[in-house]
Amino acid sequence: MKLVIFAGTPGCGKTSIIKHVIGILKKELDIIFVKFDCLKTDDDTFIAEKYGIDTEKKLAEELCPDHYQAMELSRIVKLHANRDLIIIETAGLCLRCSPYVKEGLGISVLDITAGSPDRYGPILTQANIVTISKADLISQAEREIFRVNVIDANQNAKIVESNGLTGEGAMDLAEYIKFSLSVKGHRLTLRHSMPSAICGYCYGCRIIDPALVHKRFLKGKDLKAMVPNLNCGKCGYKTCNEYIRAALDDQDLLERCPFVKKKLEEKENGK
Amino acid sequence: MNKEIQKITIFPGVNKSGQSETFDQISIEKGEVVAIVGPTGAGKSQLLYDIEKLTQGDSKSKRKVLVNDAVPDKKWRFDPRFKLIASLAQSMNFLTDMIVGDFLKLHMKARGKKLGENIVDKVLSDANEITGEPIAPEMNLLNLSGGQTRALMVADIATISDSPIILIDEIENAGIRKEKAIDILINEGKIVLLVTHDPALALRANKRLVIKNGGIVDVLQTTPKEQGIAHYLNWVESFNLKIREDVRAGRRVEEVKIFCQPYDKDKIL
Repeated sequence: MKLVIFAGTPGCGKTSIIKHVIGILKKELDIIFVKFDCLKTDDDTFIAEKYGIDTEKKLAEELCPDHYQAMELSRIVKLHANRDLIIIETAGLCLRCSPYVKEGLGISVLDITAGSPDRYGPILTQANIVTISKADLISQAEREIFRVNVIDANQNAKIVESNGLTGEGAMDLAEYIKFSLSVKGHRLTLRHSMPSAICGYCYGCRIIDPALVHKRFLKGKDLKAMVPNLNCGKCGYKTCNEYIRAALDDQDLLERCPFVKKKLEEKENGK
Repeated sequence: MNKEIQKITIFPGVNKSGQSETFDQISIEKGEVVAIVGPTGAGKSQLLYDIEKLTQGDSKSKRKVLVNDAVPDKKWRFDPRFKLIASLAQSMNFLTDMIVGDFLKLHMKARGKKLGENIVDKVLSDANEITGEPIAPEMNLLNLSGGQTRALMVADIATISDSPIILIDEIENAGIRKEKAIDILINEGKIVLLVTHDPALALRANKRLVIKNGGIVDVLQTTPKEQGIAHYLNWVESFNLKIREDVRAGRRVEEVKIFCQPYDKDKIL
């Protein structure tokens, strides 16, 4: 089973290019398309009807859509382990996020009309393939300048210029997907930690595993109760949240926060 | 890299029904203009894909494309900094808020070319031969008219882009001298592919590839008669352009002199 994750800002042309890719690959592969969005989407039913493949809709609603995706991912992979290909389209709201996993293919869709690529974080820098969309709307000169800027941001990525209307570029993406590595098992790892929020992933968990995430969340919650939440900086970190994430990865850091140190000592003496 | 491509040769593959294409081989040499014609969905994109990717029987069409009579170097297929085909399409616009001179320098820098005022001058003088409304280096890109925009794009592709093949996809009649535009591209040693049904352009090509059901079904060498027709159409258009300039300049258009001049045979392909 192959796993492909498409990410990009809203309206950048993810769905348009995915449609063309599905049109090419559905003849040879058994595909499930999973569409993540924030509040509402009809793309799943549209694609199911037009291309005759199975689709699933995931609405993040209250949650950060990229955190939600990471939480759902292991279940999706387990459920569809017997298929040839899982295509995931993220809601992709945040340029700091990187929804890609090490085990699957990460495709970043960049709208060439939306401005310079140096503004993008992991969503661009961690991708295997960068798809430059709407390339038909802009001059060749600007395309070439944009292309060089993308290479500067992500040296390793393959670059595909695409046009969601004509399907230009979809053949390249289909080829890359066909030759991508298969996912073994369902233990996945994010390529990059997520920005802070309020789940186990917010506390820096990168393993896609509901039980581990919950454990991390509880540990994080305990620490959160011990730190002053004043972002005083005495621990050397910019914020308490940043410190908590670091301390959860490295026990030795626990005593760096004087408040946590004091509380841990009290706890020990209490015993 | 531009200078390295003297010729590309396309070897037949199969159409959408899996039948073999019947042509022997199609060679396109540096400085040649080739039109690709056929209805929407006929398979023009697949052919362009095969050329762009220099496929070796590994695409859906199974066509093979050789460069200079040999299997192409991998760098042409996989170097992300290099693109074989540069394109120019009707839908394209400049979106960068910058003056023309600075923008051309930025493009040169991105292409790793030495900055030189003379290149900017050359691009502008080429562009001004294509459009009737002169472009100056201090004009803002976003304020250029449709004709100026198109003319600048052509001149920029001819000189600054490295891509040896230029794809022109339906350029409109936005007040540009199309024949001039193609001359400038050919003079820079480019191969020009035209996806257009505009007769003034399509008949200007050396040959036309006719595409049907995913296959190339015919290769039409442009006849002297067709070249003459193209020349006539371009002459009518340049006449049109002249009147357009009169109207823009606030002059009165007093008379319409339409007469057929004997064309210069050396100028025809």
